[in-house]
Amino acid sequence: MDQSPINAQIEFRTVTKLYGQIAAVRDMSLTVERGEFLTILGPSGSGKTTVLMLLAGFVAPSRGDILISGKSVAAVPAYRRDQGIVFQSYALFPHLTVRRNLEFPLEMRGMKVAERAQRVGLILERVHLQDFGDRFPSQLSGGQQQRVALARALIADPPILLLDEPLGALDRNLREEMQGEIKSLHKEFGKTTVCVTHDQEEALTLSDRIVVMRAGQIEQTDTPETLYDRPATQFVANFLGEANILENLDYVVESDSAQPTGTVPMIRPERLGIANTATPKSADGDRRQYVAGIVDDMIYAGPLRKYHVRVGGGVLVVREHVASGQQIFKPGDKVRLDWLRSDLRFVTA
Amino acid sequence: MQTLQKQRLTGIGLALPVLIVLVVVFGIPLVQLFLTSLNAPMFSVSNYLRFLQDPANVRVVLQTVQISVIATAACLIVGYPTAYLIVAAPKRLRIVLIVLVMIPYLTSGLARTYAWIMILGDSGLINNLLLQFGIISSPLLLIYNRMALYVGMVHIMLPMMVLSLVSVMLGIDKSLMAAARSMGAPPFTAFCRVFFPLSIPGVRSATLLVFVICLGFYIIPASLGGLGDVMLSNFLASQVTTTFDLVSVATGSFVLLAIAIVVLSILGLDLSGTQGLAAQVPRRSRFARPSLIGWLTRSLTEFSTGFRAKRWTAHRYRPRGEGWLPEIGGKVLVLLVLTYLLAPSVVVIVMSFSSGSYIEFPPSGLSLRWYRSFFGNTAWYGAAWTSMEIGLAVALLSTIVGTLAAYGLSRTSPRLRSTLNVVILTPITIPVIVVGVACYFGLANLGLIGSRTGVILAQSIGAISYVVVIVSATLANFDRRLEQAAQSMRAGPLQTFARVTLPLIRPGIIGGAFLAFIHSFDEVVITSLVSGFSVTTLPLKMWENIRNAIDPTLAAVASLLTVLPMLWLIGMCVVWQRSESKAQFPIPSAAN
Ligand SMILES: Nc1ncnc2c1ncn2[C@@H]1O[C@H](COP(=O)(O)OP(=O)(O)OP(=O)(O)O)[C@@H](O)[C@H]1O
Ligand SMILES: [Mg+2]
Repeated sequence: MDQSPINAQIEFRTVTKLYGQIAAVRDMSLTVERGEFLTILGPSGSGKTTVLMLLAGFVAPSRGDILISGKSVAAVPAYRRDQGIVFQSYALFPHLTVRRNLEFPLEMRGMKVAERAQRVGLILERVHLQDFGDRFPSQLSGGQQQRVALARALIADPPILLLDEPLGALDRNLREEMQGEIKSLHKEFGKTTVCVTHDQEEALTLSDRIVVMRAGQIEQTDTPETLYDRPATQFVANFLGEANILENLDYVVESDSAQPTGTVPMIRPERLGIANTATPKSADGDRRQYVAGIVDDMIYAGPLRKYHVRVGGGVLVVREHVASGQQIFKPGDKVRLDWLRSDLRFVTA
Repeated sequence: MQTLQKQRLTGIGLALPVLIVLVVVFGIPLVQLFLTSLNAPMFSVSNYLRFLQDPANVRVVLQTVQISVIATAACLIVGYPTAYLIVAAPKRLRIVLIVLVMIPYLTSGLARTYAWIMILGDSGLINNLLLQFGIISSPLLLIYNRMALYVGMVHIMLPMMVLSLVSVMLGIDKSLMAAARSMGAPPFTAFCRVFFPLSIPGVRSATLLVFVICLGFYIIPASLGGLGDVMLSNFLASQVTTTFDLVSVATGSFVLLAIAIVVLSILGLDLSGTQGLAAQVPRRSRFARPSLIGWLTRSLTEFSTGFRAKRWTAHRYRPRGEGWLPEIGGKVLVLLVLTYLLAPSVVVIVMSFSSGSYIEFPPSGLSLRWYRSFFGNTAWYGAAWTSMEIGLAVALLSTIVGTLAAYGLSRTSPRLRSTLNVVILTPITIPVIVVGVACYFGLANLGLIGSRTGVILAQSIGAISYVVVIVSATLANFDRRLEQAAQSMRAGPLQTFARVTLPLIRPGIIGGAFLAFIHSFDEVVITSLVSGFSVTTLPLKMWENIRNAIDPTLAAVASLLTVLPMLWLIGMCVVWQRSESKAQFPIPSAAN
């Protein structure tokens, strides 16, 4: 047990999973490095759960191979793969107390009673549930159940941790708290972690790298920052945050540099400036593009204000941080938008 | 892919024992009978023509259908409002009412039939009282006529109808009624436009189920009906036991089966729908998911579970009686129905303590003499003992193979699962006499007529269906991810089953075993055909007594059989409450 590595490398080699004629996952190749926190992000039905189930061994690939630490696991049944899994809505055993739930994986590995008790004690303390060991799962709050699920997945020290929509069932505040908990557990235990979610904020906060999936295929794999700042495709740009696609507008988009990726110009709403038409241009005005427009709508969202501005046959979204002394525009106001040409991105359609 | 296929293969493998028993004891002989009725290998319908050319046969067929239609209609007319009122009652009362309806359902049909003989007979309760008060001078002819037949049949079938309807109605989201009311619909309109249409599919299935069971009625027509009130089952049973005309038995059986199948398919008992809960229907879409398992599981959970959030909304929006007239009328109706269902058993229990040398009501004196007579007579307690042994064997056999099958089916593809479900449930969806005749020939093939093994096998055919139904329903509500969770923690398939699946579906298994035992302990029709007069079970002994000389000891037996299900019910409640509370409201305990 103790000589097992604390983490493992995962490799998908052109894995395809067919359900009848439909490919839930198609020709997927991916490597997850030791100790990495990788998130699979994608819209509903894009194949995220299937990827996780393939990895866990509950679903066998139709084609291709999956390797863990360099060895194919095609012939290894789920119950012989050393993986901790946190299921969506947790799958805690309702007929066992928290303590017995936590003991379960240890028992299956044939650990002695005394050592089991000690480990359970330690991990309960680690997830701040030392007083809840004798409760049944139904007597715990959502956040507590989530912590038990995490503890149960980690307690036997598996080299791989799989999370399926781990925070999907929690409300907003709790979700933020648990994100912190997951992050610190990952730092502490250093497990290779694969997490599935459709919550982009969760993905951006937690991950070392993010895989964006679309219709069973990988659309882009990158670090959160690159993914947000330099999306490769229009799909990724739209899926991760908001994007203004500057296409089919009746003014010319001026571009600075040769962009490596695509042909469709895109800019994030927070990169746009909005001002009164009479405002003088700023000092770096020669690096900016200016366009005139009319405010269509203003949406107030706490720290942010969002404008929908009609510009040259399209509508651009502008996001502005609320600050004192700002001019607030009303629908119908004439405004001037501007952006740094270097903030433009070119994505593939 | 391979794992999935392997899983499906294992699934079918687990269902194999059930399928083998079914095919050998029931399937093959059914086919043989069918071939016989068609004059195989010549294949002609001449037997059917001959059967239908005999006006006496036609009369029996028509009469069977007529009696079944009327009895079913009566059950529906009385049952629907009763079920509605039970569902509308406050939670506590509702549970009590459901239990009160369940008691007669679980009570031996023979004991209940006997009760009606005691009430309607020439020297029965009613005639006795009327004579005593000088209202009449000679006994009225209350028994051995069509009316008595209906009274008895409706009495037997009403609990099933009410419980089915209750389960359907509990599944209807009551907030829909509240919504209709909020949109300005008066209560009655809301009922007609929302509640009633939503209940229709369930009502249809419940009605069909009752109708098909009525088609196979045997005991009631023979003991309460007049000489002319013969139903097809009686006709077939007498053929098997007396003339033994194989061709005419086969033909008659398939005529009856054909009626059942035609009615079921025309009126559309969606078997996969009825058994939908067992098959794959998730909890949420359970609106008007009808019948059999529905009510079994639901009503059992209903009175075993303390408080469930999902009931909360239903509870809050439960329809409230408007005005005093419907309210009082409703109370009176429920009271009348309960009296009709329960009073006969009460009468029998009181009578059984009679000290006179014949049974009377009210008893002239109290004594335990008939109980003494029961326990002092080898024939009686021997029969009881035989029944007990056979019942336990049936329960054991059918629970084991039935649970395996249900578990296996839950891992096969949905389509295969619903097909096999239909096959496995056939013995409890077709008239019981047909099952009996088929089993008779099946056991004859095996040379097991008149042996205990034979009786056990024949009774297990139906018992297995009950087990599969209930365990499947429990499995359908079982979260499969718990198994995956266990496997991800290195529990192998067997460990997963033993440590996670089994403990969580145990209530279903116990419920199935319980119903299997009850089924066996009250079985007359099939048993009388296959016992060959050499295995005497308690129901057979009782049946013999009811038909020939009525030994007052029967009153003691019937009382015991009436008290038994109450004890069962209490026992089940305790078991259920335990397993439920363990998961839901455990008492914090230091020791574990
Ligand atoms: N057992 C199955 N049989 C047939 N098709 C399936 C099965 N499981 C998944 N699919 C199909 O595969 C595709 C991917 O499903 P998957 O569950 O992986 O999506 P997902 O990305 O997890 O979606 P969600 O965010 O909604 O959970 C879907 O089109 C789905 O319909
Ligand atoms: Mg999913």
